[in-house]
Amino acid sequence: MTAKDLDSLKSLPVPPPRDEAKAAAVSAALDAFDKSSGAAQASTAIVRPISPSTNSSRRSLMTLTRQQYALAASLAALVVAAPVAFHVSRTVEQDPVELSGNATPAPQVATKDELSKEKSDADKRRASSDLLTRLDAERKRAAEAEVDIAGERAPEPAASTAFASPPPPPVAAKPLAAPGLVARDATRRMEAWSSLGAIGAADSQAPYLPAQLEESRDRFMSAGVNPVKQVATDPVSTFSIDVDTASYAFVRRALNAGRLPPQSAVRAEEMINYFRYDYPAAETPAEPFKPTVTVVPSPWGADKQLVHIGIKGYELKSAERPRANLVFLIDVSGSMAPADRLPLVKNGLRMLVEDMQPDDTVAIVTYASGSGVALEPTRIADKAKILAALDGLGAGGSTAGASGIEDAYRLAAANFEKTAVNRIILATDGDFNVGLTDDSQLKDLIERKRAGGIFLSILGVGAGNYNDRLMQELAQNGNGVAAYADTLNEARKVLVEEAASTLFPIAKDVKIQVEWNPARVGEYRLIGYESRALNREDFNNDKVDAGDIGSGHTVTAIYEITPAGAAVTSVDALRYGDPAKPAATASPASSELGFLKIRYKLPASETSTPISLPITDALALPSLDAAPADTRFSIAVAAFAEVLRGSPHTGSFGYDDVVNLATPARGADPYGERSEFLNLVRLAKSAPR
Amino acid sequence: MSDDDARPDDATDEMLAGRAAAGDRRAFAVLIDRHYDRIYRLAWRWSGARDRAEDIAQEVCVKLAQSIATFRGDAAFKTWAYRLAYTTAVDHIRANQRLVTLEPSDMMALVETVHAPEAEDAVAGQDLWRAVRSLPPQQRDAVLLVYAEDLSHAEAALILGCTEKTVSWHLHEARKRLKIILDQVA
Repeated sequence: MTAKDLDSLKSLPVPPPRDEAKAAAVSAALDAFDKSSGAAQASTAIVRPISPSTNSSRRSLMTLTRQQYALAASLAALVVAAPVAFHVSRTVEQDPVELSGNATPAPQVATKDELSKEKSDADKRRASSDLLTRLDAERKRAAEAEVDIAGERAPEPAASTAFASPPPPPVAAKPLAAPGLVARDATRRMEAWSSLGAIGAADSQAPYLPAQLEESRDRFMSAGVNPVKQVATDPVSTFSIDVDTASYAFVRRALNAGRLPPQSAVRAEEMINYFRYDYPAAETPAEPFKPTVTVVPSPWGADKQLVHIGIKGYELKSAERPRANLVFLIDVSGSMAPADRLPLVKNGLRMLVEDMQPDDTVAIVTYASGSGVALEPTRIADKAKILAALDGLGAGGSTAGASGIEDAYRLAAANFEKTAVNRIILATDGDFNVGLTDDSQLKDLIERKRAGGIFLSILGVGAGNYNDRLMQELAQNGNGVAAYADTLNEARKVLVEEAASTLFPIAKDVKIQVEWNPARVGEYRLIGYESRALNREDFNNDKVDAGDIGSGHTVTAIYEITPAGAAVTSVDALRYGDPAKPAATASPASSELGFLKIRYKLPASETSTPISLPITDALALPSLDAAPADTRFSIAVAAFAEVLRGSPHTGSFGYDDVVNLATPARGADPYGERSEFLNLVRLAKSAPR
Repeated sequence: MSDDDARPDDATDEMLAGRAAAGDRRAFAVLIDRHYDRIYRLAWRWSGARDRAEDIAQEVCVKLAQSIATFRGDAAFKTWAYRLAYTTAVDHIRANQRLVTLEPSDMMALVETVHAPEAEDAVAGQDLWRAVRSLPPQQRDAVLLVYAEDLSHAEAALILGCTEKTVSWHLHEARKRLKIILDQVA
């Protein structure tokens, strides 16, 4: 390494800043300039940016409240990476260069510039060097914390850590050195997470997983795709519902990038449940949902049938909805200027406001280098005022103030109502300079406020800066959702559709159990929900945790069944079994294919309530075409997931068949989600194998 | 740094800064406009990512506005602004170091265990930038100030708050370390 190599640093190109960012910076600076009148005030106005915390932030990854496949994967990688990175940072810590550098307060020397101006007014010089001294002091304070930081960098798989000390491991190779481990761990962690997957439900933060649950999950994990089961030996199927949809976003991202997603990333149930289906809803919140069962011929298996179970959560009428008291805390720093950031957030929030009730209130706080209240709590009845305040937001338009997050909590508290939904929605591209100087302080604050009934949700936008881990952690501490939106449609889905179900859970720990009638059904297979399988006895055990349903949520489960006595079966019948016996026991109910049972708890209850429905011939349709469009579309999505993940059960059914099945079933598709699905199927078809 | 880049038909930085300190908004606007790119470049050299550099630069501009009133003109405005930019960038980086920046597309990479995520912009000289940014902070700062920002050792010393000798020593150590790092990359 010669001085010459290093000389190239000054000529290496630097990617230019965006014009919007510069404009935002200038306007923020002028704003601040206008606000700081007089030297006395200005001298105290230097804002300290976030300074390092001394508290580890690695706790309770297991209790994240929202499942997102990608995040789960990244978390798993972090867990794997941690020991390596920790070792590296220890080495840094012991580095004599570093320590001596930090420990010795070095005297200042003046530059030539300064020396040449030696004669200038002594007072002025003193004033200026005061500033320098203050900056020095700040810098030293920060530098002292550096050592702590080194120990804290552990969970960071980024290149900088990998390089931190000689001999450096190859860039991030270590964290990924055990690919199987990463993948396994990723899925396992995701399981743990999804079992707690209550979205924003106030009491969903179960701190542990029942051991048996974990075991059965592991077992199913390796299975990948649910196997065909024989009713004679295994007549009961039990699973937890799942309203997570992250796998779909994940698959979409891969396909849009021109490649097929890894098969393990494709979760049929999450893809099916990404879409909203118009199943008949329950009538009252006391019985929060009712199942709709349809039996149709399978489009991919001759002689087989699909048993389609659709559940729609009771949709709280506006009168029954608790009042919402929301505070939007919006990052308006320079990097928020591009269209997929602040403008996206504004549009998303605008749609949310349109969806709210007149008595709900909204306030807006912005932050960048400082923070400011852009809108005091305002009732939705005064919608024009809210929309005007939203319109007025621009990147860089922040004002110097105390602390964004404190302002936000203050406003939420000002309007606090015990029975209302009190929530802060933080929208950012990853800059958490919300005003507190310390992450652990920030988390403590969020946790404290959660205990007091004010929750925090986070909407992430943009790609470069996006800090998933911290977002998830903060949201988790605040008992909220962390979601990522890259398009307006996604922002709408997250903010508007999911807001309702997120804000207002109607049932929790929802489990499904189907007992098949051996007289009628020879074999069955559940499509998806592999990771959600429960043991038969878990169904009645209220201690076993399961998924939650929010207001208006829909959940779909599809079984593929082979009638008893079919010529072609996947599993040979037992030679020594007693074929006469099951038929005999089942004869009293021979019009029943099976019996569906659902257990759930009302949000405030700790004991479950069962509902049940016989799956009878009366629910069977002669052809798939006779089924409602939503049913057909969900079957198409299931088929797509099966093909994508290389399931052996769909035979020669291919992408074209998926398109043919889904196209006429698109329905009204007001937000273009179903059309987007069709595009994804076409992309999958053309993606390199 | 030694040359003022004030255009002849324009006031010098120091004159503008003096006027801005006295409350002249326009003078301040000209100053910010004139120095934004330089501040941004410094921020990028430290952070390696445009998004972050833009955020840092905005923060620096706001801080300049808040403290311009204390500017008395005994040091070059540029040195003064540099110092503010430098401290802000370093603080920002320090605060961000513990945070994992992963794009969803990079998460995919993690699952596939193909590639390490790259938080930085992809640019020419990536390996060199990365190696430099991975140095212990003081060595990194010395290298970036002297080589990337093209300051003299004395100027770098002033900004770093240490002696010229210490700067030289940091540079010496940095070169040794970089050699090892870059050999490993190659």
